[in-house]
Amino acid sequence: MSKRNVFAGLLLLAGLVVTGRTVLAHHAFGAEFDANAPIRLQGKIVRLEWVNPHTWIHIETVKDGQPEVWMVEGGTPNTLLRRGITKETVAIGTEVIVDGYQTKDHSLKRANGRDITFTDGRKLFMGSSGTGAPRDGKDPTEGGGAPPPPKKPGGF
Amino acid sequence: MRIMSALGLALVASVGVIAQQAPPPTAKPWVMPRTPDGKPELQGVWSNATITPLERPQGITDLVLSEEAAARMERAVIARRDRLNEPSDPNRPAPPQGGDGSTGAAGNVGGYNNFWLDPGERVAVVDGQRRSSLIIDPPNGHVPVLTPEARARQAARAKAFAGRGQYDHPEYRPLAERCLLSFGPTTPLVPNYFYNNNLQIVQTPGHVMILMEMVHDARIVRIGATHVPKHIRPWMGDSIGQWEGDTLVVDTTNFPPQQNFRGSSENLHVIERFRRADATTINYRFTVDDPTTFTAAFTGEIPFRAMNELIYEYACHEGNYALSNILSGARNEEKRLGSKQQ
Repeated sequence: MSKRNVFAGLLLLAGLVVTGRTVLAHHAFGAEFDANAPIRLQGKIVRLEWVNPHTWIHIETVKDGQPEVWMVEGGTPNTLLRRGITKETVAIGTEVIVDGYQTKDHSLKRANGRDITFTDGRKLFMGSSGTGAPRDGKDPTEGGGAPPPPKKPGGF
Repeated sequence: MRIMSALGLALVASVGVIAQQAPPPTAKPWVMPRTPDGKPELQGVWSNATITPLERPQGITDLVLSEEAAARMERAVIARRDRLNEPSDPNRPAPPQGGDGSTGAAGNVGGYNNFWLDPGERVAVVDGQRRSSLIIDPPNGHVPVLTPEARARQAARAKAFAGRGQYDHPEYRPLAERCLLSFGPTTPLVPNYFYNNNLQIVQTPGHVMILMEMVHDARIVRIGATHVPKHIRPWMGDSIGQWEGDTLVVDTTNFPPQQNFRGSSENLHVIERFRRADATTINYRFTVDDPTTFTAAFTGEIPFRAMNELIYEYACHEGNYALSNILSGARNEEKRLGSKQQ
C-alpha cells in the first residue's frame, strides 16, 4: 500500500504551483521533521487535540518497559468536521499504528503522522463498512467490540 | 428569495383562472436576489474548490473540455482518492532512513493521510463551459513569463534566504507558517487545492467583507472609496469596490512586500469581478497585473458554488506547534553540528 505523501501527488495531479513558492502548505514539513529520524509507533490514543492548523494525536507507547507519550501531527480538523467526524469519533484508548519522521528537535517526542491506521491497517478516519464510523470497540453491534485482528501484508 | 417565492405563490393563488394558464412554479425563471439597497445579493457561504488548475496542463490546447474529457478527469481524481484511502500494511516498518523521496510541501518526510484533504472533485464550469484552466487570457492558459527584473528579484530573495539565518527569528518565517495569512492566495481568490476552500461574503451598502476559512483571512472592501496612501500596506492589500450594473468590481493595490502571488512585487494590482450567475453560483473573474513582474496581465475565471454550511473556525496561532518545532529543530541541529566540530 502506498504511503507516499499526498501533497506531492496532488500537486502532480493537478499540475499546479499556485503561489510560485516551493512550499504550498501551512509549513514546510522538511523544516519541521528529520528525514534521518524515521519512526514507527504503536500505542493507544490518550488525547486528541482537534485544532488548527494541524490536529495532534497523542499516543502512549512502551519503550524498554516504560510508557512514552508521543504527539503525532495530522491535518486540519475542518475537513473531517464537515464529514461529521469529531474528536469523539475515535475513542480514547483506541490502538493505532503510525509511521512518520521525528521532529528535528529530538528532545521532543513528536512526529508527523505520515500514515495513521488502526492495527489492521485501515486508515484512522475512513470508517467501517457498517456504520461509516471507525470501529473502536465501543459498539457491541460491531461484533465482539474489538477491532478485527491485523491481516498479513498484502491481505487487502 | 424565499419571501419572493412565497409572494409569487400567493399571487398565483389569488388570480384564479389566470393562474391555471401560467407555467408551474418550478418553471419560474430565477430572479436575482437583492439586498435592501437594491444590489445583487452576494452574501452567503461559497466554495471555490475545483480540480481545474490555474494553468492549463501540458497536452491540452483548448480552454473548453468536452463532457467526456471532464468526466474522465473527475473519475481519475476520485479513483486516486479511493486508492490513497485504502488500508495500509499493518506490518509496515518505519519509513526509509534519509527520507521517503517526497517533494513539495512534504519535503522528503511525507505529509499526512489523504483523508485530511478536501481539494475538490469537479472541473470548473463557467457559463456552461467545462474549463481546462482557470486562466482564460492569455489564450494559452498560462501565466505570462516573468520580466528580467522579476527574475533578478527572485534570485536575490533566494540568495538572502539561502543561509541558516532563515531560522533565527520567528519573523523570518513565511506568513502562513506564522498563521498570519493563508498559504493559498487571498487576492485573487484562487483555490489552494488542498482544503478549506470556503469563503463567506457579507454585504452592507458601504462595505463588502470576504472571509476565507483558510487562516480566517477577512478582507474588507470599501465601496466607493479611494485607495489609501501608497505607504500604507495592509497584509491583504487595500481593496476598494464599485458596482458596474449588477457586477461588483473590486480593485486591490498596496500589497506588502511579504505578500506575493506567483512572484509578484509590491506593484501587484488585482481587479476582481463578482457576478451572480444563478441561485447557486457566483462567476468570479480576476485580472492580475504587475508590469515589474509579468510581461503581460492575465485573467482567470472561477465559479463559486453555494454551500449549505457555515464557515468553520480556523484558530491557527493557538495550536501552531509547527513554528516552535521548526525553530527548536534548528537549534537542535546547531547543537549537533557544534558538537561535531569540537
